[in-house]
Amino acid sequence: MNTTSPWKRHGVYALCVLSLSATWQPSARADIIDTQTVIELTSRAAELARVDRALSADSVKSRLLLLGVERDSVDARLASLTDRELASFADRLDTAPAGGDGLALVGAVFVVLLILELVGVIDVFKNVGSSRR
Amino acid sequence: MLMRALLLAGLALVSGCALTSSRGTLPQVAGPVANVPFFPQREYQCGPAALATLLVNRGVATTPDSLVPRIYVPGRKGSFQAEIIAEIRRQGLVPWQIDGTVEALAAELHADRPVLVLQNLLVPSWPRWHYAIVYGMRDQRVLLRSGRDPEQRTWAARFLRTWGYADHWAVVALRPGEMPARPDAKRWLETYAAFEAIGQPAQAAVGYQTGVRQWPQDSLLWFALGNSQYLAERKELAEASWRRGLRIDPGFAPGWNNLAQRLAERGCGKAARAALTQAQRFADARLGAALAGTQRQVAASPAGGVTCEE
Repeated sequence: MNTTSPWKRHGVYALCVLSLSATWQPSARADIIDTQTVIELTSRAAELARVDRALSADSVKSRLLLLGVERDSVDARLASLTDRELASFADRLDTAPAGGDGLALVGAVFVVLLILELVGVIDVFKNVGSSRR
Repeated sequence: MLMRALLLAGLALVSGCALTSSRGTLPQVAGPVANVPFFPQREYQCGPAALATLLVNRGVATTPDSLVPRIYVPGRKGSFQAEIIAEIRRQGLVPWQIDGTVEALAAELHADRPVLVLQNLLVPSWPRWHYAIVYGMRDQRVLLRSGRDPEQRTWAARFLRTWGYADHWAVVALRPGEMPARPDAKRWLETYAAFEAIGQPAQAAVGYQTGVRQWPQDSLLWFALGNSQYLAERKELAEASWRRGLRIDPGFAPGWNNLAQRLAERGCGKAARAALTQAQRFADARLGAALAGTQRQVAASPAGGVTCEE
């Protein structure tokens, strides 16, 4: 989690500054600083750069369509995600868990996999205890 | 080698705790939560089944079938966490992610709320993702509505393993303004700010109002409440909320900026300039553009009279 290179971090930071500046174009009526912006400024700002909602929405949408989601419903499905959530969804969609099935003979399969793991055929338990958050 | 491995595997299975990623015991009896319906899942559709269970318990009239077109992804034969969160919001409820500990889980059960959890029923490199509803704990077993089983009694160790393999992801659905079992001001703010970000400011406002009652000393919540009042054109209330937050945290530049903005708008240039000076004093570079915008506004504002006194 903390392995982000300084270059990447500074890049994101610069992007964050740029996009924040872009939010406040000179105008007769300036806007207040909104809550979402302050949350992004206060919590791990370097990671939480402003994102281009349209870009991540397009990316998620096209992949969901490929995965068989109905065209009519896809926009409504994404409308209740924040920009940040959409961006992270776009980043992780291909590997994100998709909870589906608890039926099948999972117990027996588990024993087989466990034995394979302990024998060293597959590398099963490498992630145990680590947290993605 | 093979013998040793088999022996280890056998031991692990018998003891049932060698593989858990957290403590293999449950802290207490909890639940069973009342009024938890059961919807047996169709193939691959544990997401809609589990979510329907959660929503119906919280008073939403829905069925798994009506959730399928909203959260099921045919090509992945499952449902994504992000879409479950989004759907809870669309149903008018508030998705609250709890900490990934049995204690946090039990606390929600004590508050009579079922918890939707993600499990990986196999192993990390060969996952089988599954959603289920936890509705109780008893005798070192976790009670689940899971798949086609209305009362799955899973050993604590097995549950903790499968839940741990899914990063201990767990979510409850709160009614707007309802406090979770373990309230947390920062998470509360972020949870409700999301509603503003998706164009449901009224829902966010309910959260901020409740938030400042629960945490009257949290300056960020006052700031957020002020913003929501300002955007709802209740600017006098907004001004009072921002001031309240600034009394708690006088070094909070965005609060000063917004207050300066408001003061300039109502023709209180002198007070606005004082607020802006404070904003400039505490702001970091990222707020430069916002402050510049406020400065233009403030410069155009007359000094103002007695009505501008706080």
